[in-house]
Amino acid sequence: MMGVLSAKFRLFIRKPWMFLITSVICIVFALLIGEANKKEIRVPVYSDLSKKEVTDLFHSLQQSDLFTFEWMDEDDVHKLVSEGKVVAGVKLEKDDFRLIVSSKTANVYLIGQYVQKVYTKEMQTKKIIESATKNPNISVENVKDALHDAKTHPIFTLEKKRFRGEETVIIDGQLQSIFGFSLFFVIYTIAYNVLYILIEKREGIWNRMILSPIKKWEIYAGNLIYSFIMGYIQVALILVVFRFAIGIDFHGKLLTIFLLLIPYVFAIVALSIFITGIAKNVQQFNAILPLIAVSMAMIGGAYWPLEIVSSNVLLTLSKFVPVTYGMELLKRAVIYGDSFTDLLYPISILCFMGVVLAGLGINIMERRHVA
Amino acid sequence: MLEAVELTKQFKQHKAVNKASLFLERGEIVGLLGPNGAGKSTTIAMISTLIPPTSGDVRFNNESVIKHPHKLRNVLGVVPQEIALYSDLSAKENLQFFGKIYRLSGMELKTRIEEVLEIVGLTDRQNDLVKHFSGGMKRRLNIGVALLHEPKFIIMDEPTVGIDPQSRNYILETVKRLNEEKKMTVLYTSHYMEEVEFLCDRIYIMDQGHIIVSGTKEEIKNILSSEDTIQIKVERANESFIQALHQNPIISRVTVQDGLITILAPKEVNLLSTLFKLADETKTVLTSVEIKTPTLEDVFLHLTGRALRD
Repeated sequence: MMGVLSAKFRLFIRKPWMFLITSVICIVFALLIGEANKKEIRVPVYSDLSKKEVTDLFHSLQQSDLFTFEWMDEDDVHKLVSEGKVVAGVKLEKDDFRLIVSSKTANVYLIGQYVQKVYTKEMQTKKIIESATKNPNISVENVKDALHDAKTHPIFTLEKKRFRGEETVIIDGQLQSIFGFSLFFVIYTIAYNVLYILIEKREGIWNRMILSPIKKWEIYAGNLIYSFIMGYIQVALILVVFRFAIGIDFHGKLLTIFLLLIPYVFAIVALSIFITGIAKNVQQFNAILPLIAVSMAMIGGAYWPLEIVSSNVLLTLSKFVPVTYGMELLKRAVIYGDSFTDLLYPISILCFMGVVLAGLGINIMERRHVA
Repeated sequence: MLEAVELTKQFKQHKAVNKASLFLERGEIVGLLGPNGAGKSTTIAMISTLIPPTSGDVRFNNESVIKHPHKLRNVLGVVPQEIALYSDLSAKENLQFFGKIYRLSGMELKTRIEEVLEIVGLTDRQNDLVKHFSGGMKRRLNIGVALLHEPKFIIMDEPTVGIDPQSRNYILETVKRLNEEKKMTVLYTSHYMEEVEFLCDRIYIMDQGHIIVSGTKEEIKNILSSEDTIQIKVERANESFIQALHQNPIISRVTVQDGLITILAPKEVNLLSTLFKLADETKTVLTSVEIKTPTLEDVFLHLTGRALRD
């Protein structure tokens, strides 16, 4: 097996261009589409109160990763909302706020929820400061420091578990395209590496190996492990480029992503064996692969988020596609911050798909391409 | 001894090989001759345990190797018709890879690679990528890979297809040398009868899945001992002349290929006067008439009515 692996790596060193080109294309596509989809949700803000009174509140609102709050005149806010250029505006009041909306959408609900949360926190802080400073020995600064300490070093660590409904969907256009294109392009890298089994069978190299003392499973394992490693390195490399060269924030989950890629890459290697098994020759493989890869990417939510798909047929089909679970894994880990145990279901589905497709693929290959 | 007993291979409705039997004794070169599509490659794929026969058996030292192929595989080298090499690796790297899968390593692998490169005459080009090799060099390396583990038997499937005469001679000389110096037993398939005639002690001729004749070169040629082969060249092809040859009761077979008319007729008959008479009657100008001793090609023609390269 090591002999097969070392020959494969030697061949890769001789011809790394295909790998590098697909990696670059993937990065470029993800960047372009990601930039186009990077619609930060702009939320214009105004108030009848003096700016000084709402400074803290406005500052807290600006901490959002999802919304960009911008200070404007009342007229401008109303104009933007009525023209549909923003989904909602916010009027800050003393102990309350108002949303200026033209139509009710999921994002309006999210904005309302977020502003409500900020207000609650601000009110709580205000109340604590008010009651603490009744004692003349305690200054406002001391209370603020104590509050800051309590927030950064809490006595209790709370673990939050939630039941997420459809309405709490978060769509991050940039991460969506990075994950989508990485998972899509790696299908080609892996499949074209697995295809070498078919090419080696056609060229007689496989027969030479069959006649040698090396076991058949070692030949398969050498080829498949190589395809896995190359696919894995490609996605990892793309994500590393995005993280460290382009500065994309994966919310500190890069290592988790690396871990979660394993079942996805395994499933794609298995799918590639299946496609190689059903294709009679290289030409047929070249025709089948784009059909499968592109439709899987569309159905599985690599091109656009599945959250915006309303067709029940497409959503049902997506359940049978590894890309769906790959995207779900990455998005849930990075965007929603789900823990490893929350992700066991998609992980096990991918492993199941991998085992079934690899078994079927090798079986078909052995029957069809009799060595 | 390696023996194929009534091997049959059926692919759906098509019987590629039909009850083919042959044997190889230690140290001999046996030829398997036949036109393209005769079933030679399928036969050797079954003998080398690459594909199982639909029926029949392959026996090595009187033991069947269909279910337990490893005993044979350990002492068998196979040179496939395809160039089964990695074209993006050098000659040496290819040998290293195939050597490793034959469980060779370290000094043993290094020595074997040097010896094989020497045998196939590629020592000077060992570090060049195979894709930059000529057809002949690729064929030589293709043979070299099969020699790495020092097999006792070697099966060669048309190892000289598509190469220049010089490389072809080199390969034929190499095969002869391997047989004489290393006492290697060779099963050599080809559709070039002159190669088989040059190399082989015994010959099997195959056509349409059947072995139609076998024996030593002399035995096979003796099939035609009572007949002469006459090759006639004419200035211009004349259908009535060919027709007249076909209708002549003395002539047992007539074939026309590339303007060359080949006829078979009994030795004792003086055919030349008849030929000139027929040419005169049909107004055909003969440019040359050659009486040849029979070749394997003539035997194939006699047995099947077709030329080997039809």
